[in-house]
Amino acid sequence: MRRTPKLITALLLTLSLLLTACGGTQTDSSDTQGGSPQPAAEGKADEQSASREKVTIRLATWAGAQEAAELEAIIDEINAEAETFQIVHEPAPADYYTKIQTMFAGGTAPDLLWLAQEYVVPYAARGALLDLTDRLAADDRPVADLDDYFPLVLEHAQYEGRTYGLPWVAQPVIVYYNMDLFDEKNIPYPTDDWTWEEFRELAAQLTDKERGIWGTSFNGWPPVHMFIWQAGGEVISPDLKSSPIDSPEAIEALEFYNSIIYNEEVAPPMATVNEQGFSEMFKAGKIAMFFGGASDDLDRVEGLRVGHVRVPQGPKNRTTFAWTASTAVNAKTEHPDEAYEALIALTEGIHNWKIVPPRKSMATAEQIIKNEPRKESGAETIMQAAQEMRAFRIIPKHQEWDTIFWEQVQEPLYSKKGTAAELAGKARASLEEVLP
Amino acid sequence: MSNPYLYTLVRWLAVGGAIILLMFATYGFLRAMKARRSTAIGYALILPWLLGLVIWQLFPIVASLFLSFTEYDVLTPPRWVGLQNYRDMFTRDPRFWPSVRLTVLYSVISVPLGMLGALATATLLAREVRGVGFWRTLYYVPAVLPAAATALLWRWMFASRGLINSLLMPVYNLLGMEPLSWFSDERLVLPSFIIMSFWGVFGANTVILLAALKNVPKELKEAARVDGASSWTVFWRITVPMISPALLYVMIMGIIGAMQNFTAPLFIKTPGGAGTFLNVYVYQQGFTQFKMGYASAVAWFLMLLIMILTALVWKWSDAYVYYEGEVRNQ
Repeated sequence: MRRTPKLITALLLTLSLLLTACGGTQTDSSDTQGGSPQPAAEGKADEQSASREKVTIRLATWAGAQEAAELEAIIDEINAEAETFQIVHEPAPADYYTKIQTMFAGGTAPDLLWLAQEYVVPYAARGALLDLTDRLAADDRPVADLDDYFPLVLEHAQYEGRTYGLPWVAQPVIVYYNMDLFDEKNIPYPTDDWTWEEFRELAAQLTDKERGIWGTSFNGWPPVHMFIWQAGGEVISPDLKSSPIDSPEAIEALEFYNSIIYNEEVAPPMATVNEQGFSEMFKAGKIAMFFGGASDDLDRVEGLRVGHVRVPQGPKNRTTFAWTASTAVNAKTEHPDEAYEALIALTEGIHNWKIVPPRKSMATAEQIIKNEPRKESGAETIMQAAQEMRAFRIIPKHQEWDTIFWEQVQEPLYSKKGTAAELAGKARASLEEVLP
Repeated sequence: MSNPYLYTLVRWLAVGGAIILLMFATYGFLRAMKARRSTAIGYALILPWLLGLVIWQLFPIVASLFLSFTEYDVLTPPRWVGLQNYRDMFTRDPRFWPSVRLTVLYSVISVPLGMLGALATATLLAREVRGVGFWRTLYYVPAVLPAAATALLWRWMFASRGLINSLLMPVYNLLGMEPLSWFSDERLVLPSFIIMSFWGVFGANTVILLAALKNVPKELKEAARVDGASSWTVFWRITVPMISPALLYVMIMGIIGAMQNFTAPLFIKTPGGAGTFLNVYVYQQGFTQFKMGYASAVAWFLMLLIMILTALVWKWSDAYVYYEGEVRNQ
């Protein structure tokens, strides 16, 4: 008899302890949402009256302080000219996708949003993004001309033949090299026609373990996908029906990548990379050749003389990975017409700001220098790299696919737990299971 | 309403005003129901907290239980799948059980060790020495530092040429071994996290135990000494039983905290996801993999695990926890 109240008290106490303990950890994450201003467009119901009041179009981006200031200058110009809309910028530099997802779930998502290449198709396939296909087809402004975009870059914003976003940047990977490390050893600088083998050979020559200097550095970046493409392989077939990562071409690329990554003859071991930082090591003059995005600041380091060269040529071609992002329109926007107009104006503005604009007509050295004067010395290389650039091919369950590819193929391979052929052969079925 | 920030401010103020009105309404209602004045004031004053609890904690908790039976990618409405998530979790997911193992082992090892450390520190700080206030403050400082900063600090200390390896260099030389690579070595990830957890020892736990130690009646100890007991006996036979409720509290809170370890493993990169604690796994599944339903299921499993561990400790506590004034029949 006396045990029952005691038991209930104990249970209640346990529960309340759990609640308080849970609460304690949750406050950290919840205040990230509390702080974001949510200027609601829904409050402006009075616009259907003939008064030509501008519609507010909310734009979410991950722009940090400096980037946001530059973007807002562009937005101010657009707003001054626009007659039907007014863009309000809502930057969220931290936990961007967490916030975006939460806003979609809560029905307060912005009208326009930046999405990196991995997200456009997943969002579009779940019906979160406005289908822009027909509007773009009916639009004859140059920025709406899809034929002008690099097709393999635009691909990340398309799903099942429909277009869900406009790419605003494509940053091809190039190789930044430390001229002093080459000069020290009297090794001539690499030229654009170099090959995988020449690259590895140079990396071995430039490595000086005793001094903590290595020829190059890999850690999963640059993406192995790029090497697979260069060998003539694919990680996901164009019809999205297969993941031929155990093809001879893919195996060749995986093996080449594996001969570089964490191999102390050419590149620093994992522990060193984790501790000293990846690109930081290049900036500190400890890496001779580093794969970086076109707009990285690797060539603006005080006291570091840096040259630019295209990525080494693979067995079949010199396809260059390009980090890409798009602006998309929320499918549930209350003002699709104005949001589309804002998207067009904004994309045109960003193409004159970021490098590289993902349009064939704008991927010129002059445009690159105009957009980013600090890239003058690398503009020629970047322009050429852009001609063969390509973004990831994305499926609706990309995040799952990517986790499997990393955990079942790349990671075990790089930590020498199996050969490329074994791992790729085993993982292919799991990868194909998440394909659409 | 051109400035969106002004709009937000107005909205915040409106919410605040509404809560105050609600508080008055609650007071008026309870008074009308013939409640005592002090009771009515009490409920009115805790109303904001109560609202917060229900809206921000109770509702999400219940909602996540519902979501754990659905497939929910956040962007489209949840779809009922019954026990599918739980089935996948237990039978198909290769990352789930390693994560459970890591989390449970971490809690079971780090909490008792941490308690011993906290008890030792508290015993040290309970002594009346000159400048004891300074030392007590010093030992509390780690608890005030932000968890993210601490995680980065530890990552740096555990680096291959970091502080810890430098200190251990003589040992390595003596044994003729390679320096350990801690977080970069899959096998050492768990020990590294356990060592790192001792950082927390010097915070709140020490303060709680210190307070408990200070409350142990001097007469008991003196009486024991008069009877010829050694300090060791006094400590184990008098001090520890007297502070056992505090120890129990520290242990339960420690287990709950350890099972929910999140910030440090989120910030510290480990090979092969060897450092993916359950809570981190929940976050990854929910926010990077669009699997909020699955994440909810894992979260509820974590909740269940914590309940079981807590209940075990509670059950076991009958044997060794003495409450003041309690009379026991041998």
